[in-house]
Amino acid sequence: MNRRVFITGYGVITAIGGNGPENFASLRDRKCGYGRLEFLETRYQDDIYCCEIKLSDEALCRRAGVSTGCGFTRTTLLGLIAIREAIASAGLTEQEVRNAGLVSATTAGGIRELEKHFFERQDLQSSGDFITFLDTVDPGEHMERLADILGMKRYLATVSTACSSSANALLFGARLIKTGLADCMICGGAEALAKITINGFNALMILDREHCKPFDQNRCGLNLGEGAAYLVLEAEESLKRYGKKAIAELTGYANFNDAFHQTASSPEGAGALKAMRKALKMAGINPSDVDYINAHGTGTENNDLSEGLALETLFGVNVPPFSSTKPYTGHTTSAAGSVEAAFCLMAFENDIIYPNINFKQPMEELNIRPTTALKTNAGLKNILTNSLGFGGSTTSLLFAKC
Amino acid sequence: MLTDQTIAGCHINGAGVISPQKTYDNGDFLSELTHYDDNILTCILPNFKDYLNPFQMRRLSRMLRMGLSAATICLREAGLKKPDAIITATGFGFQWDMGKFLTEILEQQEQQLTPTYFMQSTHNALSGLIALFFKCMGYNSTYTSRGFAFETALHDALLLLQEKEAQHVLVGSFDEVYHVQYTDYVRLGYIKREKTNNFRVFEAETEGTLQGEGMAFFIMSDQPKPQSWCRLKNLHMVYRPSDYAGLAAELIEFLRGNGATPGDVDVLVNGVSGDVVRDRWNLDLQNNYFDHATAVRFKHLTGEYDTAASFGLWLGAKILKTQTVPEAALASPSPTHGPLKTALVCNHYLGKYYSFFLLTKE
Repeated sequence: MNRRVFITGYGVITAIGGNGPENFASLRDRKCGYGRLEFLETRYQDDIYCCEIKLSDEALCRRAGVSTGCGFTRTTLLGLIAIREAIASAGLTEQEVRNAGLVSATTAGGIRELEKHFFERQDLQSSGDFITFLDTVDPGEHMERLADILGMKRYLATVSTACSSSANALLFGARLIKTGLADCMICGGAEALAKITINGFNALMILDREHCKPFDQNRCGLNLGEGAAYLVLEAEESLKRYGKKAIAELTGYANFNDAFHQTASSPEGAGALKAMRKALKMAGINPSDVDYINAHGTGTENNDLSEGLALETLFGVNVPPFSSTKPYTGHTTSAAGSVEAAFCLMAFENDIIYPNINFKQPMEELNIRPTTALKTNAGLKNILTNSLGFGGSTTSLLFAKC
Repeated sequence: MLTDQTIAGCHINGAGVISPQKTYDNGDFLSELTHYDDNILTCILPNFKDYLNPFQMRRLSRMLRMGLSAATICLREAGLKKPDAIITATGFGFQWDMGKFLTEILEQQEQQLTPTYFMQSTHNALSGLIALFFKCMGYNSTYTSRGFAFETALHDALLLLQEKEAQHVLVGSFDEVYHVQYTDYVRLGYIKREKTNNFRVFEAETEGTLQGEGMAFFIMSDQPKPQSWCRLKNLHMVYRPSDYAGLAAELIEFLRGNGATPGDVDVLVNGVSGDVVRDRWNLDLQNNYFDHATAVRFKHLTGEYDTAASFGLWLGAKILKTQTVPEAALASPSPTHGPLKTALVCNHYLGKYYSFFLLTKE
């Protein structure tokens, strides 16, 4: 079987908005979520700014419609808020998605909650608030919670492939629909900021102490962010059953490995090039048919060079408009793939190309430069989005407007 | 509702397993047994020098060393230089490295940290390392969905073969013992409080199981080769069945959809864990449908962990391949029988995640 895969709804929460419309308004108005950390305790609160969602865990519980003190991790809460928006936006009820599958990605999962009482919990005699978080350490837990709340039972999976995780969640869900195993899949990812993440990236020396500058000659690292986003994927039969119109079709996707280095991309972007090329081939379109690329564009020296060279190789002198939305949301790591997929859908709905904030000076090694001004009436038909991660993971997704 | 019947199955053309028993040698079948008295079962290690270079010996964490070795054993056995795709599965990932990094963060007040533990603790660090080592640029993914992580990895591999995206997929599991998880799981009642010898775990009649670990890699191919282990016809997952009858109905339907009945099953590999509360339905399935079959079990050999089903798959496949049933795995005196053609693995993880794997040998 080789069925088409349509996107009928999405939900997203990031530092620039608690839902789709808020995120879009921020993207349009150049409002970024970059600022001082208020809710994550770290010694770097005043040194390393991030794109934090300015809501406490209690406030997130209220938004998600669950009680406090029940062991909901911040990752799960972000996921629940985004997934509920996604279901509603697809015109479905929670009753109707019970037979749908769920592929939810994360890397940190409940690590943030583990960090708070790490030594205390190792003493079998101790007790305290951490008791509700004894079973929330592993990445699979958040998916289990989401599935239990929504009553979902079939095709439940968690993907953890570092910064490409939620792109791979979308890819796997799409394949379950394409091969005829599922009619409806909800796919995406959720990631809360954690001390481990900030300290890990800091130790790797790839955090910019200022606002990140993707694709700029003077870029010096990424800003971390947090968030969640989910897309509702449906088969054609499912669309007909509900008499719905899709926002977009997922016409191409590909996953390759760079096989170059544990935490760095190959200088020439071999994996990214393969992934983009295959996604286009699957969709049966030419490079010249791509109207916009939402780049991974983290702002690290390595990523932007590697991805930029892959773009030049594939598109030659006719690289389509491209931009990174990381300066708005920060790098939401495992959630970035689905957050940016949601941004692509909003781009279709509003026919807009988002500007690449903070770009001033082109990179020496590249002839291309990102789009820096908001472009309206962009005539968008095909949008490509890339996700690259540790472990050499590279995934490209290609959407066509419906 | 659509079913899994569109799946075409695959051939298991190689395996590499490192576990709390001596399983890394494919020429041996549980002839040497290791006893554990403190509720924690840890891997019996091969000589890493047979699989790793000096640089890797120095730089890689324990689990990366074990994982890369298991993958290498598997590929060598399958006679492959590299697979077309790599898919791994883990429940907790590299918790030791993550815990080490977190301990340093907390003890050093977030200062003077080196990134090594962080770099080696992303869940796809092993699948990435294997890709790097064998220069495999193909599809690469990692699943972490608790008791379905390995099952989903396998399911993904079956899809890749069916989509003709690959001919040989390396699928592997990895999980390790970590004292923080152990303490949490004791508190939660998942692990027994009272010390229980692993070979007496099924007689204990107490709640909880034993903490285990292990890694199991397989080459799943679209075509058999002369030394193929067996065929994986299909697999099925059941999440939180509402009652025993529902679970039993899913099993019967799964078998029927693959042209089999309980009566066809020669070997039942039961994923019971010695947990008196959570084993009940698996024991009922065995008693109600598979009285005629040779019943084996394995969690006394490995302990319990998210991806333990992978060991069950190895055990079932190896029984079919060698046509021998190791005494250490027998759940009851073996009935006399003819050739062993069909094996069914029935796993559960914490009484929430149930999975079935159907294996055949022509």
